[in-house]
Order: sequence, then C-alpha cells, then structure tokens
Amino acid sequence: MTNAIDPVIVAKDLRKKYGDIAAVNGISFEVRRGEVFGMLGPNGAGKTTTVEILEGMRDADSGEAIINGINVKDDPTAVKAMIGVQLQQNAFFDNLNLSEIVDLYAKLYLAKVDPVEVLSRVGLDNRKNAKYAELSGGQKQRLSVAVALVNDPVVLFLDEPTTGLDPQARRQLWELVRKIQAGGSTIVLTTHYMEEAEELCDRIAVVENGEIIALDTPDALIDQLLSTGFKPEKRVREATLDDVFLNLTGRDLRD
Amino acid sequence: MKIYLALTVASLKMYFRNKQALFWALFFPLLIMIIFGMMNFEKYASPNVGIYDAANNDASKALILALGGTSDEELLSVTTGTLDELHHELEFGSSRAVIEIPSNYVIPGEFAEIKVTYDERFQQERAVVSTILGQLTDAAFKEAAQVPDEYRVENSIGVSETFITGQGQGFQAWLVPGVAAMAIMQTGLFTVVFTLVRFKSQGVLRRLKATPIGAAHFLAGQLTTKAIVVVVQTYVLVIVGAIVLGVSVGGGRIGLWFDLTILALLGGALFIAIGLAVSGWAKNEETAAPIANIITMPMLFLSGVFFPLSVMPDWLTRWSQYLPLTYLADGMRAITVEGASIITLGDELIGLGVWIVISFIVATRLFKWE
Repeated sequence: MTNAIDPVIVAKDLRKKYGDIAAVNGISFEVRRGEVFGMLGPNGAGKTTTVEILEGMRDADSGEAIINGINVKDDPTAVKAMIGVQLQQNAFFDNLNLSEIVDLYAKLYLAKVDPVEVLSRVGLDNRKNAKYAELSGGQKQRLSVAVALVNDPVVLFLDEPTTGLDPQARRQLWELVRKIQAGGSTIVLTTHYMEEAEELCDRIAVVENGEIIALDTPDALIDQLLSTGFKPEKRVREATLDDVFLNLTGRDLRD
Repeated sequence: MKIYLALTVASLKMYFRNKQALFWALFFPLLIMIIFGMMNFEKYASPNVGIYDAANNDASKALILALGGTSDEELLSVTTGTLDELHHELEFGSSRAVIEIPSNYVIPGEFAEIKVTYDERFQQERAVVSTILGQLTDAAFKEAAQVPDEYRVENSIGVSETFITGQGQGFQAWLVPGVAAMAIMQTGLFTVVFTLVRFKSQGVLRRLKATPIGAAHFLAGQLTTKAIVVVVQTYVLVIVGAIVLGVSVGGGRIGLWFDLTILALLGGALFIAIGLAVSGWAKNEETAAPIANIITMPMLFLSGVFFPLSVMPDWLTRWSQYLPLTYLADGMRAITVEGASIITLGDELIGLGVWIVISFIVATRLFKWE
C-alpha cells in the first residue's frame, strides 16, 4: 500500500442500463481507507453491477469510478492489479491443487508469495494438496478469498461471500474478514444478511432499484429508525436462533 | 512472458492430469490404429490400373471401356489422369500398372506401341493385366482395320513392358498417417471445446477477467499446451505405426520429424481455430458435444482417413477432397510414407492455409469470454 489516497474509493453518479432497465441509476459514495463498507439490498438491486464497475469488469454508461486515485475507465489494468476480487460465483481450475492455484494467480500479478502462507491466512494450509472440487462450500469461499489476497490488495471486494454457507462457516468467514481489516485492508462487501452487515461493516449503503436510499453506520441507521417512533414487532431477546443453532451444533467447522 | 510461461505450465499440468483427455488424445487413436492395422482388409479385388490416353479417339475410348469390363464383371479398376499422377500412384499407392496409349493408336498402317509399367512386386496382377490387354488390343485392331481374321497383321499393335519397384506399403501405411491426422483433429477440436466451454460455464474465464492479465493470456497458454500435445501425439502414432505395424516411414529422412512437427502444428492450428469457433458458439457442454461431432464425424469417413477416397463415388469425392481433414491426411501421408518433404507439398499446404484463415476469422467473430 504505497501512496495512501483517502478516500480510497470514489464513486460519482454511476449509471448503467441493460436494455431499458437501469441496473445502476446514479450511485455515488466514498469509501475511507481501512473501513469495511457494506452494500445491502435485495437481489437485483444493483449491488453486484456497482461492484463490477469498480472492479473494472464492466463499463459504466456514465459517471466516474476512482480507486486509489486511478480512474477505472482510464486504466482498468492498473486498478485490477491493486485490488483483490471475490466474485459472486467463483470457479477455479480442476486438476490443480490449492497451492498450485494460489501460485498461478500470484504469478498472474507477478507477486512473489509463499502459497502455503497465503493458504494459512484463510486456514486452508492443511488442504494445500486438495483439489478445488474436493472442498466444502466454506472452504471454496475461503480459497477464493486467499486468491484475492495474493497481490496484497489495496481494496478487497467480497461479493456475497457467505451466501449458501452454514452458520459455522459463515462465522469463520466473518473472523477472516476482521483479521484482514486488522491488517490494514479496505474491504467492500455486498450481502443480504443483515446480521452480517451489522457484525462486520463500519458503514453500510442500502441499495434499492439502482439507487442508494440510505448510507451511514449500522448504529446510526438503527437510531434513525427508532427516532421515527418505530417499534419492533417482537420483543428483542438476548439471543438469536442462530445462537441456539451454534450452541447446539458447536462452533467447529464441518469441513 | 513470465505470466505466459506460468499459464502454459499450469495448463500442461492440468492437461496431463486429465485422464480422460489423455485417453482420447493418445490411447484411443493408438487402439484404433493397432486394431485396424492388424486386420487384413486387402482381399483380392480387380487390380487397380492407371490409363493415360494420348490418342483420345473412338478406338482408344473403346479400349478403356473394355478394360474396365462390364457392370456384371469388372476386369480392371481403371483410373485416368496425367502420366505423373498415375506413376506416383503406381509407386506409392494402390495402383498396380500404368497403361499408356500412344497418340497413333489404331491408325491403319502405323505401328502403335502401348507402354505398360508394372510394379514388379505384384506378378499376379501383372499376369492378369497383360492377358486382358493382349486379348483386347487384338480385337480392337481387327475391328479398326476391318481386316478379316485370316489376314490379320499381328505386329501393328505392340505392348512393351517396363518394371519398377514400388514403395506402396498397403493398408497399414495408409492407416498410420490417416489416424495421425484424425488424432490431430480430435485433440484440436474436442479438448479445446471441452476445456473452454467448461471454464466458460463455470466462470473460470470470468474470474481471470478480474485479474490484470485478462483471459487472452490464458488462451495463449491453453493453445500452446494443445500445440505441444498435438506434436507429441503425432510422433507417438508414427513411431508406434513403424514399430508395431512395420510401416516404413519417411524413407529414413532425418527431415521427417521436422516436417511432421510443422504439419502437425498447421493441422493443430486449423482444428484449434475450429474448436474456438465452436466453443464461442456453444453455451454449455451439452450443446458443444453434438456440434463438435457434426463437424468431425463426416470427415472421419469422407477424408480418406481409413480408406482411400477412390472407393467412394465420384460425386462425393469431388467435394470431399476440399475438406480440411483431407488436406491434412494427404499431407501426412505424403510426408510419412511417400517420402515427400513439406516444401514439395502444394495443394495440401494451400488447402490447409485457406482453411486456417477461414477458421480464425470465424473464431474471432464467434468467441466470447462469458
């Protein structure tokens, strides 16, 4: 992380249409260095399209996306070289083992890393000789995070990283995200799990119909709602059903 | 360069760990070649002869017709062509004699000498051709000269015989280069189609698009791998053909291996390009397989891989001689068993070149990353 430019991500009035449908309809926000920034919203709200524009995977129709001072449209290759990407649907080569996959991706960034060390950061060093197809869902997600870390990225994009994972695996991924944040990385995360956003994100943007309809810290958003006189339907309990499940089945991963 | 190398090494590893791909690329063609090669398909049939007709008059046409026999009973299996073509076929192919009808054939008062060249290795066929020719020329002369039997002049049509030692090696020698060409087609098309379509549908290519290198580098690595496989495969098939089936290859030419490499790479480029076009078009593996089969199956039968095109009807061979695999199989045959070098191949190189250009244009139009 050489030249520290803050805010590290600037999105200015991004717009993208697919046919007649405006997937992204004037989205603007900034992400500060070192924060975990969450994008929440129902499926089809425009989260993934927004993230893909920032990643240089898709061109916006208009608006500006700037990562660490570089305009994504002007130099997508330079942006791709300094970000880490976990796509919603990840797939890696069959017939290569995990350390070979990490090694290959490191070489694509001309980065010198020890594949086993990278795998140990996501707790997969004991599976370094396994093939991708042999991994569990949680392990696959952690591998795709490991691959996203090979170039020591300025910004790490995680697109729905815990979708489809069981509670144990989800919690382990949360710990991983916190660890990566503690290492000084900036993280942009999309999710539709509210407890995940509350747990991990410093600030969240709520996206609906291609627009940001709210943007603040989770606490401030909850306070704003309560100040309107909102009362939750059920009495707030000290524990959740998630806690019950984890208490019954244990926190150990079922890999 | 480092990135390209890393991708090539990785894709080679993936390829050689893929047991199925190895089976189809190496063991399957080897099996076909050995099994077919061990069978004897060369039962007695009427001898193939080439006829060059310099006279081109009614009498010579009648003679050619008569040599062919009737539709009930074929005497000789006749092909016509230029002298060079016919002699080449006699020396390297399945032809057993070349009959040259002189321009003064059956002009009364002139002595017409029919020159016949035989492959000395086939004496039985020589006897058949010589007997039939003797009887027919006799009859033809009498008819043309309108001479009553009792006045016939024996000497005004003569037959002279020369002998060469042919290099033709029969069915095995036909099969080995044919299977080598077929294997190049299968590797180029099927492995490209299946890896790319799978990577595309699984999102592997999309993930690569998120890296600074983009998927084009990845493709370059993949194609290098296929090129290496195609060359190795050709060597293995030719070597096994020589050792197991006893086919003499290349007439001991050292340049053979160089020529084989070039030809295998040309053939590889052609079928890889076709593979890219198909993988661009097909959405998933289920649609890719039938498309690839529709392209390869007809060529297996129409391109002279297993049997010479001459066994098929003319209207079919008129078209099938322009198929990509025909050019590759012909070229492969010329280099491995007919002792030609790659620079002497004309039609085959032009044909392959044209097909390569067409396929790459189509491939770049059709190929998509996602």
